[in-house]
Amino acid sequence: MELTRRDLLKGAAALGAAATVPLTAGGPAHAQTTQKKELVIGQGGDIAFFDPHMSTSSNDIRVSFNLFDNLTSRHPDGKLYPGLATEWKLSGQTTWTFKLRQGVKYHNGDPFSSADAKFSIERTYDPAAKTRVATVFTTIDRIEAPDPATLVVHTKKPDPLLPARLAFYAGQIVPKKYVEAVGPDTFNRKPVGTGPVRFVSWTKDDRLVLEANPDYWGGRIDVDRVIVRAIPETAPRIAGLLKGELDVITQLPPDQGEKVNANASTKVSGALYAGLYVLAVNSKVQPLTNPLVKQALSLAIDREAIVKELWRGRGIVPSQPIAKGDNHFEASLPPLAYNPAEARERLKKAGYKGEEVVIETTVGYTANDKPMSEAIQAMWKDVGINAKVEVMEYSVRAQKMRDKSFKGLWWSDPTSTLGDPDGMMWRLLGPGGPQDYWRHAEWDELGNAARFSVDEKFRADAYRKMTKIFLEHFPWVPVIQPYEDYGLQKYVEWTPNPNQQFEIRRFNFKMRRA
Amino acid sequence: MVSSIPASVPADAALPLGGAAAGTRRRRGSWLVVAGLSFVGLLILIATAAPLLAPQDPIRQSLRGRLAAPTWEGTDGRAHLLGTDHLGRDVLSRVVYGARVSLVVGFAAVLVGGLIGSVAGLLAGFSRGRVDAVIMTIADAQLAFPFILLAIGIIAVLGPSFPTLVIVIALSGWVSYARILRSQVLVLRSREFVESIHALGGSLTRIVLRHVLPNVLSSIVVIATLELARAIVLEATLSFLGLGIQPPTPSWGGMVHEGREYLDSAWWISTFPGIVLMVTSIVVSRTGDWLRDVLDPTLRGE
Amino acid sequence: MRGFLPFLGHRLFRAFIALWLVSTVVFVVMRLSGDPVPLLLPPDAPRSEIFRVRTELGLDRPLPVQYGVFLANLARGDFGRSIHYREPAFNVVRGYLAATIELGLTAFVLAALVAVPIGLFSAMRRNTLVDHAAMGVALVGQSAPTFFLGILFILLLSLKADLFPTSGRGDWRHLVLPALTLGAFTMASIARLTRSAVLEVLGADYIRTARAKGVSELWVVAKHTLKNAAIPIVTITGLQFGTLLGGAVVTETVFAWPGIGRLAIQSIYNRDYPVVQCTVFLAALMFIVINFCVDLIYGFLDPRIRSG
Repeated sequence: MELTRRDLLKGAAALGAAATVPLTAGGPAHAQTTQKKELVIGQGGDIAFFDPHMSTSSNDIRVSFNLFDNLTSRHPDGKLYPGLATEWKLSGQTTWTFKLRQGVKYHNGDPFSSADAKFSIERTYDPAAKTRVATVFTTIDRIEAPDPATLVVHTKKPDPLLPARLAFYAGQIVPKKYVEAVGPDTFNRKPVGTGPVRFVSWTKDDRLVLEANPDYWGGRIDVDRVIVRAIPETAPRIAGLLKGELDVITQLPPDQGEKVNANASTKVSGALYAGLYVLAVNSKVQPLTNPLVKQALSLAIDREAIVKELWRGRGIVPSQPIAKGDNHFEASLPPLAYNPAEARERLKKAGYKGEEVVIETTVGYTANDKPMSEAIQAMWKDVGINAKVEVMEYSVRAQKMRDKSFKGLWWSDPTSTLGDPDGMMWRLLGPGGPQDYWRHAEWDELGNAARFSVDEKFRADAYRKMTKIFLEHFPWVPVIQPYEDYGLQKYVEWTPNPNQQFEIRRFNFKMRRA
Repeated sequence: MVSSIPASVPADAALPLGGAAAGTRRRRGSWLVVAGLSFVGLLILIATAAPLLAPQDPIRQSLRGRLAAPTWEGTDGRAHLLGTDHLGRDVLSRVVYGARVSLVVGFAAVLVGGLIGSVAGLLAGFSRGRVDAVIMTIADAQLAFPFILLAIGIIAVLGPSFPTLVIVIALSGWVSYARILRSQVLVLRSREFVESIHALGGSLTRIVLRHVLPNVLSSIVVIATLELARAIVLEATLSFLGLGIQPPTPSWGGMVHEGREYLDSAWWISTFPGIVLMVTSIVVSRTGDWLRDVLDPTLRGE
Repeated sequence: MRGFLPFLGHRLFRAFIALWLVSTVVFVVMRLSGDPVPLLLPPDAPRSEIFRVRTELGLDRPLPVQYGVFLANLARGDFGRSIHYREPAFNVVRGYLAATIELGLTAFVLAALVAVPIGLFSAMRRNTLVDHAAMGVALVGQSAPTFFLGILFILLLSLKADLFPTSGRGDWRHLVLPALTLGAFTMASIARLTRSAVLEVLGADYIRTARAKGVSELWVVAKHTLKNAAIPIVTITGLQFGTLLGGAVVTETVFAWPGIGRLAIQSIYNRDYPVVQCTVFLAALMFIVINFCVDLIYGFLDPRIRSG
């Protein structure tokens, strides 16, 4: 049965465009359903690496999350579900035991076992492997694989978030036997995983062809093939969707979303970004050393206008440094206030003398970065702040991140990788972290304690206190928690995960058939 | 030298002018030159008087009134005759102020480029030998280089700013001046010329002032005009690529860049500044052509 | 013929120096633009990682040493390994070269095919509306900024009229707008050149003779025009092809055309030195070679120039 369908598909593809044109010609009624057995995705950049441990770029992990499985799996509802591990529990403070799924095979037929899991996780921080995700599992002390169906992980200190860490990038499980046999370069060119799709071919700058894994443990997905095309320019990507050449497109800017919704056969689907867009602050530079100044900066931003106008309502105004949807999010806190009069007061109290406040922004690296920068500059100027906007190249930004040499503020889109404040606020702003510009003894102490505690009540309390301190000192000025929007054909029934954790598995994807 | 085809090919290249036709051409040419120069003058006037002419503050935003079509009454109660951009700023005002950027950068680049080029040309002409060869080889190399990449590279190093922009654009154009001055100097130093001086019995200074200098000046004026058009376009191109004058200062090229993603919905953001830029470029380069007709037809054949 | 070989040698020598100068300038500018390594690693990578990758890429050695290595490799035709793509730089460039050549060739062929008849027609209908209109359009094509021409084409012919796609590379339809944009300047120049060449021919004696003899005017005009105009037209076309890359950079950006112009810009931002060096070198080489051939032809035809 399978064979015939595939042959038919190949034949159709050989005829040309016919294979990819959905049956929308019949009229609006037909546009809502399809017989297509192929899913075509248009994303904003081409793939650089298939090896899941060699990249954290969204264009790469979109693919690697589908070629590979993780031990734990995060579903669109934000909760952790079994992946390659069917259950896990904590014993003592530092030992996590995972029961692994039986009967899973890699795309090349090799069986999956605890040896693969052990190899895969250890590989991420093995200096010889030179991966780009070496810092994800630094809490792990050692891993044991007592039998093929069990994995025991010992952490250096209590780590309540280990299962969450395993659900995101770096947690994709690679095949030990295959990788050791062919070496990392071949593995990168011909990846083999356990995921719902397997690698067929890739033409750079053109298309990646994946085919459904018929024996996938989570159930075969609803299409035979998945094509991923790289279309960096927004306009042709959207045009491709509207014309029916693409089924799903990523990185849909809010301004264009209305067009997609207005079209009879397409729709917008978004997930609230599990993270925040913030103006990160170099609190070591004048006048940003003064908390009153930073409070004024926050009070002077009309976030509602930004959300409503620049984002077309596709976002929410943050209320705290913890993303909505994360553990320990305080629903009772009000959205960050807009009060220009109060901002002026704080500036006066701070003794602000007109020192320059600079926003260094990239163009298009973070969505809407330049327009938001210009809008905020005008808002700050309105309350008397000597605000300037400077455009910088992405390469310059990367350099400044390393040298910690920002002149004032810059855009950051911290991702809550673990669904927990530890994975966002603490990971980035903690001492020695990548955005270590501001220290506060009590805040630091609380953060450290909360990371290593397994008492959720204690942690909730700690994060509550940290939020209070944060809202006084503003090491970040949160601006918006946007939706990450995708454009879809109406017949694609798919629920996006936040964090660009794009995956197509039975639980979140199927085509609407007539 | 063949490798120095002038940037703007005159409409009647390779046509030897004769007699009466030349006269008529010159007369009509003067009229056109006046028209062209008036346009430039008008532009300078607009740029200088921008605060008086522009209906609104070019950097004043109105998020709620963004992407508005040209209208007599916008959401903020004001007229936006050319519409508003993605941050609600008045396009007409920004176009008017944009003239400042184009002209200031353009003239500055022409000045600096002219200076560098003239010095280089004089140097090359007077020293002949080694220095001459070096300078001319650098000129050759520069022609071979896809200059826009060099511009991008330099701006990537130094960061986009007004002085960087001026220097980069100046660097792109010095060669024309250098060649002219060099050839003039070579003429000066040629045997025929020296002999003519002795034959005419005049002092060197007088000959230079009376004959050579006006010649050189008219060549430079023609080149400078053509270079001005080119500089304005280059500045706009660099701004279009995001490497020119930075926000929120309006520049024509930058505005085309900002409006690019709204071409299908708010086309006015890119179109109006682009048209103004195009007209400016056409008129100024045409003026250069006409100047050449009037002042120095011999420039054409080079 | 006596002075020809020294002339040849002289030109070759200058070409060689020019290439060396170009390569050195790229080397210096790229090195000055900063460190590419932070772009390759996540922001929280430890200093030891950075150090390791820099050593791996040979970027830790002193600058003069790097330059020496660069030149030595260049002499062997080795452009190094792309920092971003982890492949030999030449292979990366070669992958995109075809697209640019496709665009460039189409642009120039189109330009010549369209412009020559227009120039001819214009001259024969001198001072009529058609002539003025055509020359007006040519004026625009010659002076208008390339990027805006592209934007206008996209707006009018793609978005409003829906005749062509807005960007990218695909079937012949994708080629039209970018080729028109890239070739606009050349097209306009050739049209004007042709027109004036034809005008000159029209006023010449042999036309009167032909008319008197009753020979078809068009045929005589065409024959003589081609002879007259051929040299300047070929010169211009050749030289413009040589500067193809400069014009292509902007056009490729506007139309998202996957050629080496766009690659070069991306690589500058990525600080991928080897790819930038390779692209610029090849572009300069192409220009110099074409220039050289043109000079050779001229040298053949006009011995006076050789002494220059």
